[in-house]
Amino acid sequence: MAKAAESSGDPGTTSPRPLMRDLKAVGKKFMHVLYPRKSNTLLRDWDLWGPLILCVTLALMLQRSSVDSEKDGGPQFAEVFVIVWFGAVTITLNSKLLGGNISFFQSLCVLGYCILPLTVAMLVCRLVLLAEPGPINFMVRLFVVIVMFAWSIVASTAFLADSQPPNRKALAIYPVFLFYFVISWMILTFTPQ
Amino acid sequence: MLQQDGNEDTEDVSLFDTEEETTNRPKKSKIRHPVASFFHLFFRVSAVVVYLLCDLFSSSFIACVVTIILLLSCDFWAVKNVTGRLMVGLRWWNHIDEDGKSHWVFESRKASAQESKTVSEAESRIFWLGLIACPVLWVIFAFSALFSFRVKWLRNLRPGSLNLHAVVIMGVVLQGANLYGYIRCKVGSRKNLTNMATSYLGKQLLRQSTGDEQTS
Repeated sequence: MAKAAESSGDPGTTSPRPLMRDLKAVGKKFMHVLYPRKSNTLLRDWDLWGPLILCVTLALMLQRSSVDSEKDGGPQFAEVFVIVWFGAVTITLNSKLLGGNISFFQSLCVLGYCILPLTVAMLVCRLVLLAEPGPINFMVRLFVVIVMFAWSIVASTAFLADSQPPNRKALAIYPVFLFYFVISWMILTFTPQ
Repeated sequence: MLQQDGNEDTEDVSLFDTEEETTNRPKKSKIRHPVASFFHLFFRVSAVVVYLLCDLFSSSFIACVVTIILLLSCDFWAVKNVTGRLMVGLRWWNHIDEDGKSHWVFESRKASAQESKTVSEAESRIFWLGLIACPVLWVIFAFSALFSFRVKWLRNLRPGSLNLHAVVIMGVVLQGANLYGYIRCKVGSRKNLTNMATSYLGKQLLRQSTGDEQTS
């Protein structure tokens, strides 16, 4: 990561500035998620740094300020981690069993990077929650989360759909739908108390 | 003739002497990449230290967890991309080819006569020590988290706390991955040496046997 091998390919490790190379690669993938196009970047040069950053950011933002948070940190932090990584692994295994020709880490990479829109939604929701509570507050958050959820689904299917056998596409996409739905649910039902 | 022989002899002797000097000079135990060696150990040891002494650093448990995750990630990146290559001349990565198939490549730098390219013993020792000792520690932490042995600050946590397990699992996975990758590089290079040695011996034997045939 690997999170086993997390940075891409060789001719790269001989480059004089591997840190900049890796940071640029991560940034490029974020751009590809925001503007989904048919491209091989997410698949060919996979890395798991983006998913890690997004997961930690999401987990930190989903923290409730509970009374005994100093002692325990609340279970929410690790819950987010478990849901994201366990969910991504399960979806990958599912797509491999359905006969998809995508490698384990490539699939984790795509699913992880496509959490970006939902992380943005979480940020927006936290800002909106600073305003006074009420039905309008909720409607705004609902709208933002639905839009970002759709964006995540579109981005991930753009990258994953090609690797599935044609008659099994729906079966492979359904768990992805469920995965992002659960994350969206966590974001929507978040209250900072 | 005698003079020529004498000169050749002295030349041979002096060449031999300089070779010996080169190998006897303690260059091999010098640390050629002090910064890399430092960081190789720094991130791993800090992660372990923060895990054990979290109580002292901060009252917020989440800050500790995030710090440990950050240190583990930096360590993974540094060891995989920089210190392995510089200190022991090994590297490993994943390559996806045109058909979308993924290959894992494990490489080791060929030993050359150049001074700058050989592996120094001190660096090699530091590298492997750091690489092996820390994952072992994380595995021990994993077992203790599993069975909730009473380390001082753990008494504050509910036994089996999810955060604790998440951090420890991450430590085991990340550091174990680097350990596995570099061991495969090392084993691969040894296999190559063995193959080279056996093929060389084979060629020698063949030459000797055909040579004998010719002379006899």
